[in-house]
Amino acid sequence: MSDDVKAKDPKKAPKPDITFFHPDLLVVPENGMPPYLQGYRCKSCGNLDFPKPTICLNCWGEEFEIVPLSRQGVLYSVTDIFIGQAGMKTPYVFGYVDLPENLRIFAQMEGEPGTFKCDDKVELTVGPIRMNRDGLPITSYKFRKTAV
Amino acid sequence: MKLMRDVYIAGVGETKFAKHSVDYDVLGRAAALEAMRNSNINRPDVVQSAYVGNGMNGIVTGQTVFKDLGMCGRLPIVNVESACSAGGMAVYSAIKDVATGVTDISLGVGCENHSLHMATGTAFAPSMSDIETMHAAVMTGKYAMRANRYMYETGTTIEDLAAITVKNRRHATNNPNAWFKGAITIEEVVNSRMVAYPLTLQQCCGIADGAGAVVVCTKEMINKLGVQKPIKVAGAVVQSGPYHNRPRDITGDDITESCSHQLYEESGIGPEEVNIVELHDAFTIAELLYYECMGLCKKGDGLKYLRDGDSTYGGKCVVSPRGGMLSYGHPIGASGAAQIAACAKQMRGDCHGFQVDPVPRIAMTHVTGGGLSGTEHAACTMHMLMSAW
Repeated sequence: MSDDVKAKDPKKAPKPDITFFHPDLLVVPENGMPPYLQGYRCKSCGNLDFPKPTICLNCWGEEFEIVPLSRQGVLYSVTDIFIGQAGMKTPYVFGYVDLPENLRIFAQMEGEPGTFKCDDKVELTVGPIRMNRDGLPITSYKFRKTAV
Repeated sequence: MKLMRDVYIAGVGETKFAKHSVDYDVLGRAAALEAMRNSNINRPDVVQSAYVGNGMNGIVTGQTVFKDLGMCGRLPIVNVESACSAGGMAVYSAIKDVATGVTDISLGVGCENHSLHMATGTAFAPSMSDIETMHAAVMTGKYAMRANRYMYETGTTIEDLAAITVKNRRHATNNPNAWFKGAITIEEVVNSRMVAYPLTLQQCCGIADGAGAVVVCTKEMINKLGVQKPIKVAGAVVQSGPYHNRPRDITGDDITESCSHQLYEESGIGPEEVNIVELHDAFTIAELLYYECMGLCKKGDGLKYLRDGDSTYGGKCVVSPRGGMLSYGHPIGASGAAQIAACAKQMRGDCHGFQVDPVPRIAMTHVTGGGLSGTEHAACTMHMLMSAW
């Protein structure tokens, strides 16, 4: 049998899974400046939202301007997860971070279980949040305690 | 919903809740048959429509349940999915058919088998298209965050949370359908395996299988069937979760508060008049917060309500008299219907060994459904029941 026949049809090869969670939500500048999240403000009514809405939830406007969000926030609540999603290494930590733009972000925390408490000041960072279908890590936004 | 005409519960049924080796449809069938027989229905051609609530067991679940009862082909059967709220929503839908005049008698069933369908050792999480799920959210952790915030704001301790499990298991001691029941100490609850801090295993509802069913009908049908103790549906409310990505008080619960308010308005019955409540105690913290959210006590007084014994036998309102989800476990499609069945049995004085005394005349049920990011819950279904004899 020829090699052509034996080779898998490239049209049927599965697309590789993502390794970065959302370039439209998280910006990691190439010049080494700190990463930041992007909010989306409706051009019709001014409603600011994260993540990016399909359509404005308030007025159905379809045009948005990108608003870089504060990198510092307050950890409203947090928990250490000991029995987690399938495939996740435990324990891991997640919480709700409140940003000054009146947005709440759900994110994994970078840091040891048992070291976070409500109202801790936290800052944005970047790191792996899970493994993808191909066994590679997916990088996304995370938060860690703000260095004193 | 606005009830266009009066609707009554004619009969109810529920299975034992446990790990079952029979599938959801066998369980659903057993509960449905019990509910119909309990309504003095002895033939397959009486019920005029049926709704079956189920979360995860696949397609055509309702028709699968009714096929072996000889009922497929005789009535429209609609399948209801709403995660943990499905069973309540199925009964709500049956009520709607009767209330609006589409039928004179309908059946709502909730049934689920998790054991035969899922890998153990993993926690429930909403869909992969959900931003929180992608970031490894699990339902246990969502509730754990509510617990941590409440503890931070009020000084509530893990031992206080554990007391809810102790109370509910005690309530279930003589309930043949409850899975976990009897004496358990605060220490045993606190020292059980940590799931999501501060929630330990015994503070979480077990993953169980089971079913509940409720026959609802008009007053004329009640008389025709010769039902002695009809229970009036004083209110039935379904709401979907307000969605926003802004800070919210997770020690409150916007959808539960709103749903409760609508229920009290529509039924004309206030929280102070309710004798028993079965609510969504999937985790200890949930029950504690819902005392406040439902107005059983003032905001901030949940812990006092518990410590004063107001939510147990002899208190202001017995919460979780069947033992709640903390005793039954929580087969997500079943619970909402099973709660209504359990309340009806209490109101009819049929709970030998765990009967609330005096016999309750007004009962309220509550299930929420689904962890959808940006909402407190995707859905909430509540019912208000009133003895009508």
